[in-house]
Amino acid sequence: MEDAKVLQQERISIYHDIYDDRVPKRVPVNINLPFEVIAQFGGLDLRQAHWNPAMLEEAVDRICELVYSDVCVFMGSFRYPSFYHILKSQSFKMASNGYIQHPEVSGMYPEDYDYLIKNPYDCLVERVIPRLYKAFNPDDPIGFALNFAKSLLAYKEDFTLSAEIRKKMIDKYGYYPEGLFSENCGFTETPFDFLADQLRGFKGISRDIRKMPGKVAAACEALYPLVFKKGLPKKISKYSQVFLPLHMPPFLREEDFAKLYWPTFKRMLDEYASMGIRCTIFCEHDWMRHLDYLYELPTDTTLWFEYGNPKLIKEKLGKKHIITGLYPIMNLKTKTKKECVEEAKRYVDILAPGGKYIFNFDKSPLLLSDIKLENLCAVAETVRDYAVYTNPGEVAGMVFKKEDYKASALKNFESRYYISREEYEKLYPELSDFARGKLERLDDEMFDYLMFLLL
Amino acid sequence: MKNIITLNDLIIKAVEELDEERVIKLASKALKSGMDPLFLLDLIKEGVKRVGKLYEEQKYFIADLIMAGLIFKEVLELEEIKAQFQRKSDEIEGKIVVGTVKGDLHDIGKDIFKGLMEVNGFEVIDLGVDVPEDAFVKSVIKYKPDIVGLSGVLTTTVESMKDVVEALVQAGVRNSVKIILGGNHITREACEYIGADSFTNDASEGVKICKQLLKSK
Repeated sequence: MEDAKVLQQERISIYHDIYDDRVPKRVPVNINLPFEVIAQFGGLDLRQAHWNPAMLEEAVDRICELVYSDVCVFMGSFRYPSFYHILKSQSFKMASNGYIQHPEVSGMYPEDYDYLIKNPYDCLVERVIPRLYKAFNPDDPIGFALNFAKSLLAYKEDFTLSAEIRKKMIDKYGYYPEGLFSENCGFTETPFDFLADQLRGFKGISRDIRKMPGKVAAACEALYPLVFKKGLPKKISKYSQVFLPLHMPPFLREEDFAKLYWPTFKRMLDEYASMGIRCTIFCEHDWMRHLDYLYELPTDTTLWFEYGNPKLIKEKLGKKHIITGLYPIMNLKTKTKKECVEEAKRYVDILAPGGKYIFNFDKSPLLLSDIKLENLCAVAETVRDYAVYTNPGEVAGMVFKKEDYKASALKNFESRYYISREEYEKLYPELSDFARGKLERLDDEMFDYLMFLLL
Repeated sequence: MKNIITLNDLIIKAVEELDEERVIKLASKALKSGMDPLFLLDLIKEGVKRVGKLYEEQKYFIADLIMAGLIFKEVLELEEIKAQFQRKSDEIEGKIVVGTVKGDLHDIGKDIFKGLMEVNGFEVIDLGVDVPEDAFVKSVIKYKPDIVGLSGVLTTTVESMKDVVEALVQAGVRNSVKIILGGNHITREACEYIGADSFTNDASEGVKICKQLLKSK
């Protein structure tokens, strides 16, 4: 336990050095594996384990023992079948192998644009969610109300169970405690990706871009306050991060990206930066033609690349942003241990100099059979032992200051389904401040859950 | 005559520019003035091919390919086309069975590939998503395709694809077809591991490969 505490201090200091714009003692090894991989590793039936996350603990413990990482090897999961099943989700379904997937859906129709632009939250709650979650049945309001409450209970239960497992491992193995699921961190999508994902779908948005670009731009503006609020961490600290997986840009022409995607995306990251929050963005697919845009994002944005030329990325962005990813996870399956290790050194040699680098793979493996664990362990240990700096403590590139970013006043949204504190004051003057605060917090939790259903 | 030539060009250009409403308007007009539906489809295909070329030149991207596919589908839905259009078998270049393999529910890549293959004269039998290996075996026996196209987005599909190839071997039909894999994560090594004949990370390149595979059969 003492050893774990010492190790945890070292890990906290290398991550904090990165975010404090200093060269750390060594490159952080940021490896975490998804629920499915660990369930397979433990020989568990994925269908059962997904319904009962507590089953995973023993396997998590064993894999944490086996695989070196500076963050908890179990990343947690967003996708448990319980609440999706109760709500009759069309967006998230279990495939025959127990894996929960996200088929192409379209919960919003072209004729909904005007309503979305005028009253975004009302449109999501009244039209989009009921189309994607068939339990929202207007013919059975009582049955629906009960099922909705049940789904929220299931959501809380499953997230709590997996958070408990993570907490135990963080304490036992002394991991860096922050992560996607900690209260200093948040998760959301850019307005355009949110619109293109469960609202219009890939096919729908591809058509809208050509047929009604003005409405697409207006919809991104309307969704902005919602997705921004969704991403805000519960507690904001100096090391708060908001994670955004970016999906659509590689599939768009540059002029469409510049007009429709970029403005609200850039503003979102600037606004978080003005609050001292930095973002980690997963640049899905190939972003090489967007590197100049990425340079414009706030200093110390963590750019997690899936593809690309590491040299060019380091040259163009490495002084301003934190680079991670790139190492192809497929190598771990198709190459020998020696080749995997040499490849890891090659990435470190290119990306580590000058700091602002965190080791990670290009993406997470989806199932255990995607990787050879032996190779994964060898790569992780190589980075830990090889990627050691001789100049720790030196300033690493550009320095992040929240004062450099201006917040456009956060536009709140109005909706009959969301009551703000001011409205509670008007509605219930007899209630205490504490009571009104509590009601407002519950509204926020409900907002959080409903938005989660669309992420 | 001059007018008709202009109309042909306008149709091709409207498809190339992905102007759906204009394509439908011009196509309806052309059909009303007596254009042969098969000839109209050739014009649409020419437009879609130009979209494919712009894609290869990196002037257009995936969202544009999808839009071209949607326009093609819209035209096929026109009454005159539905009523009159039946492909003559001698025009078919080849037959392909496609499907997203077991454990994967993604269909976008498969659908883009399917659309481009149809435009290029292939008969496509689409088995859908999350397709188990025995469904591939059954349809190879039933339809006797030239090619089997296995699609997948998730990295897990490497194993599922391997299972399909092995099932085809077991059933004794592996050598009667060529197998192409489609997916971003597929590498040369993965293709060899799976035991397929070819692979691609790009739908339009996939069409070219299929044409070559036909010749080599």
